[in-house]
Amino acid sequence: MQFLIATILYQEEGESSSNVSLVLPETAELIAGIIAFAIVFFFVWKWALPTLNKTLETRQQAVSGELAGAEKAKVEAESLLSDYKAQLADAKSEGNRILEDARVTAEQMKTDLLAKAEGEADNIRSKARDDASAEKSRALSDARTQVGDISVELAGKIVGEELDADAHQALIDRYLGDLETL
Amino acid sequence: MEGNIEVLKGAIALIGYGLAAVGPGVGIGIVVGNAITAMARQPEMAGTIRTTMFLGIAFTEALALIGFVLFFIA
Amino acid sequence: MDQLILASEECDVVNEVICAPADVKELFEFTDVIFSIGPLGFTRTIILFFLAAFVVVGLLYFGLRKQRMVPSKFGVVIESLLDFVKNGIAKDIIGPEGARYVPYLTAIFLFILVGNLFEVTPLINFPITSRMAIPAFLAIVTYVIFVFIGFGKNKFRFLLDTVWPKHVPIGLRWLVGLIELVSIFLLRPFTLAVRLFANMVAGHLMLTLLLGSGVIFLSAFPEIGLKALVGIPWFALGLGIYLFEIVVSVLQAYIFTLLSAVYIQSSVHFEH
Repeated sequence: MQFLIATILYQEEGESSSNVSLVLPETAELIAGIIAFAIVFFFVWKWALPTLNKTLETRQQAVSGELAGAEKAKVEAESLLSDYKAQLADAKSEGNRILEDARVTAEQMKTDLLAKAEGEADNIRSKARDDASAEKSRALSDARTQVGDISVELAGKIVGEELDADAHQALIDRYLGDLETL
Repeated sequence: MEGNIEVLKGAIALIGYGLAAVGPGVGIGIVVGNAITAMARQPEMAGTIRTTMFLGIAFTEALALIGFVLFFIA
Repeated sequence: MDQLILASEECDVVNEVICAPADVKELFEFTDVIFSIGPLGFTRTIILFFLAAFVVVGLLYFGLRKQRMVPSKFGVVIESLLDFVKNGIAKDIIGPEGARYVPYLTAIFLFILVGNLFEVTPLINFPITSRMAIPAFLAIVTYVIFVFIGFGKNKFRFLLDTVWPKHVPIGLRWLVGLIELVSIFLLRPFTLAVRLFANMVAGHLMLTLLLGSGVIFLSAFPEIGLKALVGIPWFALGLGIYLFEIVVSVLQAYIFTLLSAVYIQSSVHFEH
């Protein structure tokens, strides 16, 4: 019995050194592992994460810068658009004004022309009237003269004596004037 | 004689690990099952539940892991 | 590859149906010193440690080197990984104070991720996190950080309130205190290290066992004839586990980082 226990104990000692080593870290590997992990850790700490942060920051800045640029461009475009709109409105009102002017001018011209034409017509009419009256008066005076002459001649012939045309002209004129008033 | 003891020891260690794995197996099943129920009931809490689930598994698993180590040591 | 060669010499393809290594240690311990700098002898494992470190450094360097307005696809992957640790883990769990711990959390996440993925990387096929040195060291660092912060922020209330929690009924207080004490100061670092270690050891064992058996049996076809077909299910199962291990690698890196953040958070916002 004691022999058996002794054998088990002996076996245990012989055995335990073999597989336990699997679950215990080996010194050389531990040192190597620490160094390897330190490399990774310091690289991540000192280079990778700062670089990533910087990249993200520049990216963010670039995006926001682009956004700001776009915003600026938009504002610019809007102001340009409003400018154009104002200009267009100006042009439209200008056009309207010109049109209105033209219309007014045309109207005025029309009235002017009409007035002028009327005036001219009046002129012509009055001139015609004047002409007519002048003609009439001339014709009248002609007729008077002739009537005088003829009357004198006639009277002379009738009376048989020569009448002094000049002496009786006044008489004839009065007579004819009386005649006219009839 | 020596070989027999070797085999016996290995077999006992195996049985020991098998026993050690039963409890954690059941436990992890309960933890994950309840976590799934909770996630199904409240999907918006899934992240928190998953974290807690892993934590619970970690605690439950401890016994199985001790058994695993003892298997190598024995 | 080394493991396969090792196993094929020992495997008894005539009598066995699966090639189990006689000693598990053979799969994890490479004692041949390839070259040495000073007192540090570089075994394959140690070379892989440094390879993992340089892979992380290289990935970060090539991902972040050019500060471009529109990052490349590779750059997007790296940036989103870093963003995931920063916002998905540090900010989500620790809160605004989490910014201070982002470098550490990022470093452990990337280092463990690459170390774990070595398990499924062809030609490397060895998770460096299955050597206890890495998980133990990282767990100790996390432990030191959260204990240091706990005492720094709360002085001795950190210890006192842990062993004598005032929100618990007086009858149970000593028991809860004891459990909390053991849980925080002993089990946390221990489980943190062992969880990663155990997952990776188990994954590596399964992969070598199944893929190794598959390849060995199939290549022994001239000697054992039709029995070589045994290798097919092993190989198929191995491929399934291979895909599964990719998920496990990423998940374990995430869980290690997450739990580190949770432990740090419990010290930053210590309330009992």
